[in-house]
Amino acid sequence: MSGSAAAAPVKVALIGCGAVSRLYYAPALETLRREGLAEVVALLDPDPRAVRHVSRHFRRASPVASVSDAGKAGAELAIVASPPRHHATQTIEAIGSGMGVLCEKPFATSTVDARRMIEAAAVAGRLLTVSLVRRFFPATRLIRSLLTTETLGPPLGFHCFEGGRFDWPVQSIDYFAPGGSGVLLDIGVHALDLLQGWFGGPEHVLYEDDAMGGVEVNCRVRLTFPGGVSGDLRLSRDWPRPNVYAIHCAKGRIEWPVNEAERVRVRFGGSPYDVDGRLILPAGAGSDQAIPAADFHRSFLDQLRNVIESVRGRERLAVPPEEALPSLATIERCYGHRRRMAMPWLGADESPRAATAASGP
Amino acid sequence: MSVGRVAVLGANGFIGARVVEMLHLGRGADVRPIVRSAASYAPLSRFALDGRVADGFDREALRRAFEGCDVVVHAIAGSPEVILGTLRPVYRAAGEAGVRRLIYLSSASVHGQAPRPGTDDDSPLDDRQPVEYNNAKVRAERTLRRLRAGGQVEIVILRPGIVLGPRSQWVTRFADALLAGRAYLVSGGSGVCNGLYVDNLVHAIRLAMSADAARVDGQALLLGDAETVTWRDLYEPIATFLGYDLARVPRVPPVSAAEWRTRQTGAPGVRRRLRGLLPERVRRTISAAIGPSRPPRRSPWDIRAGGGPEATLEMSLLHTCAYKLPHRKATRLLGYEPLVGFHEGCRRTSAWMSFAGYPAADECANEAARRSEAG
Repeated sequence: MSGSAAAAPVKVALIGCGAVSRLYYAPALETLRREGLAEVVALLDPDPRAVRHVSRHFRRASPVASVSDAGKAGAELAIVASPPRHHATQTIEAIGSGMGVLCEKPFATSTVDARRMIEAAAVAGRLLTVSLVRRFFPATRLIRSLLTTETLGPPLGFHCFEGGRFDWPVQSIDYFAPGGSGVLLDIGVHALDLLQGWFGGPEHVLYEDDAMGGVEVNCRVRLTFPGGVSGDLRLSRDWPRPNVYAIHCAKGRIEWPVNEAERVRVRFGGSPYDVDGRLILPAGAGSDQAIPAADFHRSFLDQLRNVIESVRGRERLAVPPEEALPSLATIERCYGHRRRMAMPWLGADESPRAATAASGP
Repeated sequence: MSVGRVAVLGANGFIGARVVEMLHLGRGADVRPIVRSAASYAPLSRFALDGRVADGFDREALRRAFEGCDVVVHAIAGSPEVILGTLRPVYRAAGEAGVRRLIYLSSASVHGQAPRPGTDDDSPLDDRQPVEYNNAKVRAERTLRRLRAGGQVEIVILRPGIVLGPRSQWVTRFADALLAGRAYLVSGGSGVCNGLYVDNLVHAIRLAMSADAARVDGQALLLGDAETVTWRDLYEPIATFLGYDLARVPRVPPVSAAEWRTRQTGAPGVRRRLRGLLPERVRRTISAAIGPSRPPRRSPWDIRAGGGPEATLEMSLLHTCAYKLPHRKATRLLGYEPLVGFHEGCRRTSAWMSFAGYPAADECANEAARRSEAG
């Protein structure tokens, strides 16, 4: 590869111009365009208003009618940020059109689809990865390191709560259609990816949710990992409680306030105090000016940079596509053995229909 | 009388969501939840229902959402502007869509938070009360009656008291305040709580859907639970669930309407209110010119604790209420009798707190012990 070719920005197609593209990918790609790393050349969405909104960031990008048209427009990388039910089809089509793919989470709605996507990429020799931005957070990396080194002793258990009132700016209530995105397939992907990254594959999974003919709004996953580490993951689109992942270790406790990329709280032993820490990169020799660790937005950019540099062959892909499988497999286990959450406020005349609706068609 | 499809406006709110849940699961009616935005539909997506998005101010969107509905339940909550501004679009859209009856959720607070002994459904209403919410509800009822006089859609106005149960702000606000160390009781919480368990309200709504028009059209009906209970009775099980001793919750004196006005119209209050009258652009310009207002600098040696809780006027009135509102008229016209007793309602509410992730007693006790050790 010549020096000038190496410096050429990677041509990107944005497949899906909804909220995640508008709020995250478009501004991030604009930053990378200014850095000379990426150039958005194609935009695809069935809603012309969504395309127009995102195109404000990218004057040189053309609206296209299909994924293959994005390939014809010269795109080398497709970012698939459409509704999850389209991920597999569009990813495979993008690979077939000669593009590498960064697929928004959830990677697919089933492991069968996920494996088809991985196989298509392997056969075509194209890059494929999934957006798991939390892996790039300094806080989650530090937690992994604390657990691996058993700095606070061996982990014993955990309790994670994530959610609150749903405020993602979805365009239609079809977003919640059965077979679409319930809370487990949505934020559960992130949560399970982190927990499985910290503790390994779960040995036992117990799952319950409150879906009664629709999608789950609340769910609880009871996980037991190798070594006996067990705990609850509670997800909600309904009621806000403090969003915290708490991990109990033999000599203390680690807490991560959800989505605070550069913040961790630690309790040592039985101390009455917690350390509430903002993460920094140590100052260089002779300086007392520490550098703040990456926040959410910088972490998001780090993820995109890694993908761009991988397309150019200058970096190893941080999240190989196979790593999307374990959390999806756990989600399938959950849905496959789901039980109805106890809803103790229901009256005697409601419970029978709740039970019938929960058991599905 | 059989009831056709029921549209529930404000279906994602505390009351609206329970109306949808009970009607759907209890086979009370074919229900159509209506919400203001797609995102706010999330809590209702547990069910496979024919939901719609329509803003309460958007008559045309409402008309489309009401098509094919027999009854509309208006459970939109919000500011006085929302309370008053949604009535005309909703009533007219209901008329255009051929809706038979509109059930409007007003509030017992049209009679004030501490009604005079002897108050009943037909007592005269005042729209110059010190609590603006009450005035908005009084005006809403008057507006609705005027609309009925010129329209075809029947109206039934329900006036629930303090609506309790899972997700009730009267439960969660107190629980959150306890956990944050901000809870208080006015006069020991010995005042009458004119409570109504949410399922009893939905039961009344169900009755109001099918009641004979000759009996209920245009009527306003107070609704309450059977038992006479105090605020202390309401708070006790919440505190017990969380492991707190209600006896240790600070007692504060009630604030009078005059004191409250003074507190609200003190110099900063006046500035705030005047500022509120200005357009946003002018406000920003002024702020940019004079800079943000800063609190007075405090000496680092000043270690006064951050002041105890102060009662609001609303809570002062509620916690000192001396009168249990009757619901005889609802019994007479609807056949309303509460289905769920107070203690059963408290039990279900505590069980929901556990479901929602509120920390149960032992967890709270451990944290409290640590904090106390830390001084």
